[in-house]
Amino acid sequence: MGKVIGSDEYGRRVAKHYRKLMEHCKVNLDRIEAEYPEPFLNFKELLKERGVSRRAFLKWTSAMTAALMLPPLFRPVVARAAEAFGRLPVVWLHFAECTGCSEAFLRCSYPNVDDILLETISLEYHETLMAAAGYQAEQNLEKCMQDFAGKFICVIEGALPQGLRGQYLRLGPKGKTGIQIAKEVVSKAAAVVCIGSCSAFGNVQAARPNPTDAAGVGKVLGIKTVNIAGCPPNGVNFTGTVLHYLMFGDLPALDPLGRPIWAYGKRIHDVCERRPHYDAGEFVEEWGDAGAKKGWCLYKVGCKGPYTYGNCGKARYNDAVSWPVMAGHGCIGCYEPGFWDTMAPFEKPIDESTIGGGDRTADNIGLALTGVTAAGIAAHAVASAAVHRKKGEAPGKETVKAAQEEKHG
Amino acid sequence: MGKIEEKREWSAAIRINHWAMAAAIVVLIVTGFYIADPFTVYQGETTDKMFMGEVRFWHLLFGIFLLFLVIWRIYLAFFSRFHADWKDFLVWVNLKGLVNQVRFYLLIDKEEPERDERYLYGPTQSLTYLGLLAIIICMVVTGLILMGAGYHAGLSGFAYKVLRPVERMLGGLAMVRYIHHILTWCFVLFIPVHVYMAFWHDALLKQGTVSSMISGVLFKRVEK
Ligand code: HEM
Ligand code: SF4
Repeated sequence: MGKVIGSDEYGRRVAKHYRKLMEHCKVNLDRIEAEYPEPFLNFKELLKERGVSRRAFLKWTSAMTAALMLPPLFRPVVARAAEAFGRLPVVWLHFAECTGCSEAFLRCSYPNVDDILLETISLEYHETLMAAAGYQAEQNLEKCMQDFAGKFICVIEGALPQGLRGQYLRLGPKGKTGIQIAKEVVSKAAAVVCIGSCSAFGNVQAARPNPTDAAGVGKVLGIKTVNIAGCPPNGVNFTGTVLHYLMFGDLPALDPLGRPIWAYGKRIHDVCERRPHYDAGEFVEEWGDAGAKKGWCLYKVGCKGPYTYGNCGKARYNDAVSWPVMAGHGCIGCYEPGFWDTMAPFEKPIDESTIGGGDRTADNIGLALTGVTAAGIAAHAVASAAVHRKKGEAPGKETVKAAQEEKHG
Repeated sequence: MGKIEEKREWSAAIRINHWAMAAAIVVLIVTGFYIADPFTVYQGETTDKMFMGEVRFWHLLFGIFLLFLVIWRIYLAFFSRFHADWKDFLVWVNLKGLVNQVRFYLLIDKEEPERDERYLYGPTQSLTYLGLLAIIICMVVTGLILMGAGYHAGLSGFAYKVLRPVERMLGGLAMVRYIHHILTWCFVLFIPVHVYMAFWHDALLKQGTVSSMISGVLFKRVEK
């Protein structure tokens, strides 16, 4: 620890630190604006067109600045980065998955700023959205990789099956395996962002017994990826991460699983609106009971919030309308690796998972063993009494006395 | 000539450590099972209640007690001035002795096999206590992970930073919690057997096994 400093001095140092950081952001955004092409869609015009007021946009910048754990000072920088969002060339790859992540990002009843931001994204290649097909699509991809080598962001949706040398997944006109394509594109990308738990950790494809030997992109290719985990993930966590990249020219701090700490730094349970009921000891005992109507804690109907890192409770889904726990179903832990296996059963606490099916939960097995132990002790006590008393061979009190008397006598 | 001799078996430190650990483990089992399978407290307003919060508080408090008790016990095993007993945990390595001791316990042999007086424990005891120590350490490690996941500052925050790779290796917080739960049953099974065996020894060998963990003294019959 350094020497103790007064609050004035502290304030000055903090202000200086942030001024420096702002300067860094400006230089970086200048560079981005000079180096990258004009965005395909103008963000400001698009906002106007969609009827998003300036006020709504400012509110969004405040929320996003706070979400990224930056002081309000940075709001204009975030706004500028949002305008530059469309400059960043993106290649969006799909592997073994359901396209639900793309769907979750793109389909909304009415667009919010995040959705519009995603609309401006310069998608050089996106298998479900692009008009091109076949060889033409392949050409687009190759052109992008050439034009923007070392500059584009590679976004990946979907796991990579490794079984049969990757042949469970073949794509495109040349029939390349997912692993081949991933290797080619990733080698040229500035950064790899895995969207969704499939590309991040393998998800349902990799759940036991994992017949295709699927795994997350980072694991298969042996590279470091930014993992926007979730099934589906929250669009905010993706846009925030890209905005961070635009502002600072660098990826945000990541946890050991590659998830941005600003979004995945706390557990669901730590920021849950039902948490006061948990601490009070008020639990929903079954679906639709009185507790459920009062919004009590969902732990006993299987909430996995205590084991899951994520910001669902703060960011929420669908234009921040709701999220699972708010809607009345416990968290199933979809932000965590291997959640299909480790979080089961989804509607019961974790200790009620069975070992080999039936009623064989850890507690039932434990109870049975305790019963066997008690019976064993009782049997042993009776047998001991019989064996050691009858023969009088154990050195009991009487025998000791007898021995002493014998020797004395 | 037969004579009863007093032998100081346990130092005060070991006795205090033993009973503190016993108390901590009982509190941890009870509070732990509540955390795993809580019942709802219906009376009163939410704002006046803190039942789960309090149970968790006691669990964590005694958990940290247990952490320090284990560290103390391991320290004693190596550096006790009375009897550093780390070797005593390895008596079972002589497998023949272990088999003979089990035969005695299973009432096949009627005489207790010759005890090596250098060690405090018989072969089965040494194996069981080594296993117990290992399980307590597993409990402390998994407990610290679970605690650090919720409290990012101070001791648990630091421990969490160090133990996060362990969390990953075990398969995430859910698995850590599940393992913590399953191992709890080891204590539930250990305690009755342990208590019974202490009384059994007391009844059979008449050395005052049970009281020795309080007074520190064991009575041994010496033949001259
Ligand atoms: C003999 C020792 C212990 C026993 C028998 C025990 C038992 C338990 C049990 C049964 C649970 C519930 C698990 C579940 O939900 O399935 C639990 C949870 C927990 N234990 Fe322990 N425990 C022990 C030691 C410790 C220690 C040493 C610590 C910490 C230093 C600790 C910290 C915790 C924490 C943090 C939780 C989770 C509570 C929560 O998520 O709110 N435990 N324990
Ligand atoms: S609903 Fe889930 S996340 Fe919320 S307090 Fe209860 S257990 Fe924790």
